[in-house]
Amino acid sequence: MTDMSGAAPPPPLNRMLVSVLSLIGFFVALYLWAHNSGLTGPIVCGVGDCATVQSSPYARIGPIPVSAIGVAGYTALFALSLVGLQPSRRESRLIGGLLLAGAAFGVAFSAYLTYLEAAVIRAWCQYCVASAIIITLVFFATLPEVTRLRGGSSGLEPRAT
Amino acid sequence: MKRLYIVLAVVAAVGIGAVGYSVSSGGSAVTAPIAVDGIDDLERLVELAQGVTKGDENAPVTIIEFGDFQCPACQQFATQHKPQVELAFVESGKAKFVYYDWPITTAHPNSFLAARASRCAADQNRYWEYHDNLYRNQVRWAASTSPVGTFVDYAGTLGLDEGAFEDCLNSDEHAALVSANLELGNQLGVGGTPTILIEHNGTVRQVGYDFASIQEYIDGLLAGSADGA
Repeated sequence: MTDMSGAAPPPPLNRMLVSVLSLIGFFVALYLWAHNSGLTGPIVCGVGDCATVQSSPYARIGPIPVSAIGVAGYTALFALSLVGLQPSRRESRLIGGLLLAGAAFGVAFSAYLTYLEAAVIRAWCQYCVASAIIITLVFFATLPEVTRLRGGSSGLEPRAT
Repeated sequence: MKRLYIVLAVVAAVGIGAVGYSVSSGGSAVTAPIAVDGIDDLERLVELAQGVTKGDENAPVTIIEFGDFQCPACQQFATQHKPQVELAFVESGKAKFVYYDWPITTAHPNSFLAARASRCAADQNRYWEYHDNLYRNQVRWAASTSPVGTFVDYAGTLGLDEGAFEDCLNSDEHAALVSANLELGNQLGVGGTPTILIEHNGTVRQVGYDFASIQEYIDGLLAGSADGA
C-alpha cells in the first residue's frame, strides 16, 4: 500500500537482514574466487576437505568458477536489498519479487552444490557449507516479501509529498 | 538505518581485511629459471640436471622426454600416448622412461612453477601421480595468474603433507634443478616440447611424440638387438 500521508514506511527489517547476510556471503564467495583465481595461497580449511572440493571438476561450470557465480549472486542480493531499503522503495513489489526469486534460485543452486559435495565429491568445504547456510537464511529473510507482493505497491510510483 | 550502515561497515571491514590478507600472503614462490653456478660446465650441468625415471633402471632402451607442464602438446602426449608407451615398453621392462623439465616460461608463465611443484611432490615420493594430475588438469591452472594455491590443493588431493608441500613451493627449492634441466635441454638442442629422445647402446635419436613413431623405432631397435645377439 502506498503511504498517502507522505511519511515513508519504516525500513523493512527483513531487507536489512538480507543486506547483512548477503554482504557476509559476498566475502565468503570472494575468498573462494580469489583462491580459484590463484591469488591466494592454499585454502585455509579448518573443517572438511576444501582442497578436494575446490580442485574437483564441479568447482567450475565451464570456464566460470562456481565462486564467481556466488559473488555475482550475493552482490545482486545486496544491491537489491539496499535499494529496497530506500524510503521510496520500501513497499516495492518489484524489489520484493526480485529478492524472493534471487534467494530461491540461490537456495536451489546451493542445494545442488551440497548434493554434489555429499554424493559425488564425497568431501565437504566449510566455505561452501557456510554459503549454503547463509543463502538459506537469506531465503527465509525474503519470505515476508510474499506478503508485500500480495498487497504492497510496485514501488515504482513517485513518492507522495 | 544508521545502525544498519554501521553493521555493514563492520562486515565490509572484516571481509576486506580477511580476503586482503589472504591475497597479500600468497607466498614468494620462484616462478622463473634462476642463475646456477657452474651450469655452463657440462660435467657440472650433468650433475645438476636430474630426470625422473619410471621403469626398470636396467632396461635396454631409455625413452627421454623434455616436457613443459603448460604445453598443450605435452598434455596430449602425457594423456594419450605416454600411457600406451608405458604399457608397451616400460611395464614389460623393455624400456625406462625419463622425464626432464623444459619449461618455456616466455610462452607458459606457470610452467616453471609447475615443474617445481612436481619436484615438491617428488620429495614426498608422489612424483608421477602429481605429474599426471598437472597434465590432466592443465586447462584449470594454465591461465591462472598465481596457481600456488591450486598446486597445493592438488597436493592435498593426493594425500601429501600440504604444509610441507606449500613450504617447498613458496621457496626456491628445486629452482636450480629445473633450471639445470632447462639448460641440459638447450645443450642437447631441444627446440620445443615435447621432445622425445630414445637412447639405446649409447646412441640417441629424436622421434615423434606419437605412440606409433615411438613403437616403430623401439621395435626396430629391439629387433636389431635380437638379430645381433
